[in-house]
Amino acid sequence: MMHHELEILRAGDEAADTLLLIHDINPISHTAPFIGGLARSRYIVAPSHPGFGASPLPADFDTMYDLVNLYLDVLDNLDSDRIAVAGFGFGGWIAAELAVAGHRKLDRLVLVDALGIKLAARDERDFPHLFNTNPADLLRLAWHDPAARPAGIHGVGWQATISDEMTDADLVTLARNWDSLCLFAWRPHMFNPQLKHWLHRIRVPTLVLWGESDGIVTPDYGRRYADLIPGSIFETIPNAGHHPEMEQPTAFVAAVERFLS
Amino acid sequence: MTDMELWNHCENPYPFVPAEVLDAAEAVRASLPNKYCDPDIAARLYDQVFEEYRQCDELGLHIVTNEHHSGINNLWAASPVITGIVAQMTRKVRILSLGTLITVRPDPVRVATEYATIDVISRGRLDIGFVKSGATEMTSGDANPMRIREREWEAIDLIEKSLTSRDGPFSWEGKFFTHPHVNIWPQPYQKPRPDFWAATSDLPTCAELGRRGMVNTLLFGGYDKTRLAYGAYKQARQAAGLPEAGEDRFSYMAFCYVGDTDEEAFRIGQKIAWFLTVSLKSAPQMSKFQPGQWAPEMAPTMWRSGGSKRPSNLTAEALIAQGQMFAGNPDTVVRQIKAFRERVGGCGRIIMMTHQGLVTHEEALKSFNLAAKEVLPQLQGLGPVEQRVAAE
Repeated sequence: MMHHELEILRAGDEAADTLLLIHDINPISHTAPFIGGLARSRYIVAPSHPGFGASPLPADFDTMYDLVNLYLDVLDNLDSDRIAVAGFGFGGWIAAELAVAGHRKLDRLVLVDALGIKLAARDERDFPHLFNTNPADLLRLAWHDPAARPAGIHGVGWQATISDEMTDADLVTLARNWDSLCLFAWRPHMFNPQLKHWLHRIRVPTLVLWGESDGIVTPDYGRRYADLIPGSIFETIPNAGHHPEMEQPTAFVAAVERFLS
Repeated sequence: MTDMELWNHCENPYPFVPAEVLDAAEAVRASLPNKYCDPDIAARLYDQVFEEYRQCDELGLHIVTNEHHSGINNLWAASPVITGIVAQMTRKVRILSLGTLITVRPDPVRVATEYATIDVISRGRLDIGFVKSGATEMTSGDANPMRIREREWEAIDLIEKSLTSRDGPFSWEGKFFTHPHVNIWPQPYQKPRPDFWAATSDLPTCAELGRRGMVNTLLFGGYDKTRLAYGAYKQARQAAGLPEAGEDRFSYMAFCYVGDTDEEAFRIGQKIAWFLTVSLKSAPQMSKFQPGQWAPEMAPTMWRSGGSKRPSNLTAEALIAQGQMFAGNPDTVVRQIKAFRERVGGCGRIIMMTHQGLVTHEEALKSFNLAAKEVLPQLQGLGPVEQRVAAE
């Protein structure tokens, strides 16, 4: 039994292997091409975090601890006994925490341009402060080619793309997502200082997948992240920034399928 | 009968950064490098404002200090240090800290200790003001802008308990703050504690101030917003069965310049508008896109409109018409303040922001002198305000 209500995007055949997707700063859109690609061979389950999309935010939720335990609940409540988890950006941080905590159903892990650990010197950033950086700069850093960004997709730096084509309902949802992200991740900004020294507890096969042009969190950070996870594989996707699943969906789906199959 | 009070609020601005630097900067608060702040100029500014405070102490104008960080608008970043100096250098007037930023500072017990110390140094002349803060202050202070109001109230509660407990230590294990051993020395001079103020126009917060009997001050709110805020305060007291609040519970901060003539006051008052035209410049990530700035439902309006908080018309005449500036010769200012008091349903404490923007030290001293000698006497022994407005 889930103790908390969640909006969940589902795609694919329920009888197929389950792939749980843990989203980045905004919930995954059902129109995103990579969802269709993954759903050809998998049963996709993509919840919206509490406070994101249409998921309610419980009054007492405000830390990563709450999100990790919530996703442990999600794993408990999925029917399959072997579940792959893929986490994107901020959701990659959640997925890494989840894998460190461990769950008997967790079978494989994919971290995509994940945040969550501190690697650089104490007076250097691993990634820009998402709330203290001009959205125009974030947009430039987040995409290999910001101009070719798929329509209707709201990645890092979306504030710089607000247009009259976006509905008020879209903007209200984006505002709510942004508020909730801040609640969970303002300080320390997008990392858990303790996580790095527990990554060795990740015992499942892990793919660390990175957009080659990610300027939010660089491939070098991804490589070092992967080095801390025993036996993990590190791969990059060319011509993709922080959201390779949206910028290069075909290559992304192929990489994930190669690993999960 | 109401004896109105006049308070002097100076943020000690630093309007000496070259315009081309300010024009090129993304924000003039939070991220403007401190290489643009010359310590010699800053030292002179501190001297000047402290001299103004000495004069206010002689004249009977009460003093307000506050706190902003890392920008041209305010050199009072280390606010308790400033308030402590004011406590020691003055002898007569009251001092309101409005305030140190309790939503940014990690330990309310430390804040309570600073306030108790200042209250003792001033021998009971301290009032303690609370502000929710936000925007660039969240950036400068690395304070999560979410759940800020809950955090503010918990900080206030812990500060109040720290100031009023005499048989400590006590422990505190709240949602935002924990402290296992609270026992501040010295205890405050005033009993049970210094009076509390808060600056807000948020109606539910005004209602809570009403139930608690705290002073409600508004900053440049204009007539309608101020009347609504005071109304929420009064209604909450009435609903809770509490006695009607005196006018000393209602305060208002406006730009203010008192000159020999209206023409002089308008001309100099116009220089205050630098505060609005230059010193508020902020980056979008620290203003309209900062989380928690407004309810998500407000985002489409605020984002599409640019989310500017600036009044659209910044002439002295327009600011006066909007109730955001009191300026003129002494009689003119008296008329403006009396009219304001009537229109908002009663207001006993006017906070004058005078030494602001490009107003000089000498110009500020002149205004304070006229305010104290020519304006303040005419604001004593006022009859009750027409209650029609408040009762609407």
